[in-house]
Amino acid sequence: MVNIKIDGKRIRAQDGETILEAASRHGIEIPALCHHEAVEPWGGCRLCMVEITKKAWEGWSRLVTSCLYPVEEGLEVETASERVMASRRETLDLLLARCPETPKVRDLAAEYGIEETSYRPREEPDDCILCGICTRICASLGHHAIVLTGRGPAKKVDTPFNEPTDACVGCGACAQNCPTLAIPMREMNGMRTIWGRTFKLIPCESCGRTFITEEQVQHLCETEGFSPDSFNKCDACRRKEAAATFSTIVKW
Amino acid sequence: MKYRMRVTPQRCIGCRTCELACAFSHPVEGVGIGQSRVSTFDMGDDVFIPLLCLQCEDPACVKACPVEALVRNEETGAVEVVEERCIKCLACVPACPFGNMYPAGLREPVVKCDLCKGQPKCALFCPTRALEYLPV
Repeated sequence: MVNIKIDGKRIRAQDGETILEAASRHGIEIPALCHHEAVEPWGGCRLCMVEITKKAWEGWSRLVTSCLYPVEEGLEVETASERVMASRRETLDLLLARCPETPKVRDLAAEYGIEETSYRPREEPDDCILCGICTRICASLGHHAIVLTGRGPAKKVDTPFNEPTDACVGCGACAQNCPTLAIPMREMNGMRTIWGRTFKLIPCESCGRTFITEEQVQHLCETEGFSPDSFNKCDACRRKEAAATFSTIVKW
Repeated sequence: MKYRMRVTPQRCIGCRTCELACAFSHPVEGVGIGQSRVSTFDMGDDVFIPLLCLQCEDPACVKACPVEALVRNEETGAVEVVEERCIKCLACVPACPFGNMYPAGLREPVVKCDLCKGQPKCALFCPTRALEYLPV
């Protein structure tokens, strides 16, 4: 256990956890856009900046990303000091220039009193905030189908060389977790289209409802050792089947 | 003390009170009631089978989860979904051989029986004790 102070409140934090984790466990809110519990933090959005100091630092303080900075004994954290707010406002101002029409960014910016960006808004508005949640989730699933490509203003999330890739299995986890709904995924006539590829969805053997792509099944069979037969029914039909089996086992 | 859910289908009268109790005790924000994690099946001839997560010893859902969003609560014995960690890949849904993982919809974490953190409402409301939560 480590004793720290966040906004003047004494907190006992766990060894090795980050400032953001300790704060959220104690109900102290720090805004963050690129944070997702499932993947490693990477300090991309710069919104979770906090000001830290220690007694021994004799009045000196610094700004750090709370999602990456591990707690240490005697740390004093300010989550809403003037310096923090200025940094956050600047980040949101820039984000708003990139995504002037994205509701999530607009709402967050408005909370900090920014209605319009002071920079020149991007000519082709983009909903992607480059938080990297999609790319990190894709990597954690073992696909590595999408990555952050390019530098500076040309930076974007894309498949390698902007071409449809075999690495993608069409699971749609990237689109499902995108905080700003920036990744288009379409489902029509038993087909799912994402990242320039169209995947065939397997229909349930008994009810015909589609629920998983062929490539996803193949990936799960290869990595987790499932048999392909275990994916021929949807969850509802599987329950029916299980109930039928149980009814034959039970002695009446 | 450790508790286990005991299901006695012979006592089930198919009233679906368990489903209601479950749906009402897992409300969805803005909607009110949530998805029930227990389903009762009418097999004909007055045979009813209440089906809920078996909290398997070696769960296929946990094995399928790529981000460790499914963890066993040692106190209740239930395998629970850590909602913030779930990446909605739905790998656990087809993985469960009994179909007891419920996809809750687009951009929503998967739902499953969590034994109501040790006080299962289905067992509490079951009028015929077809569902019982008993000390082992």
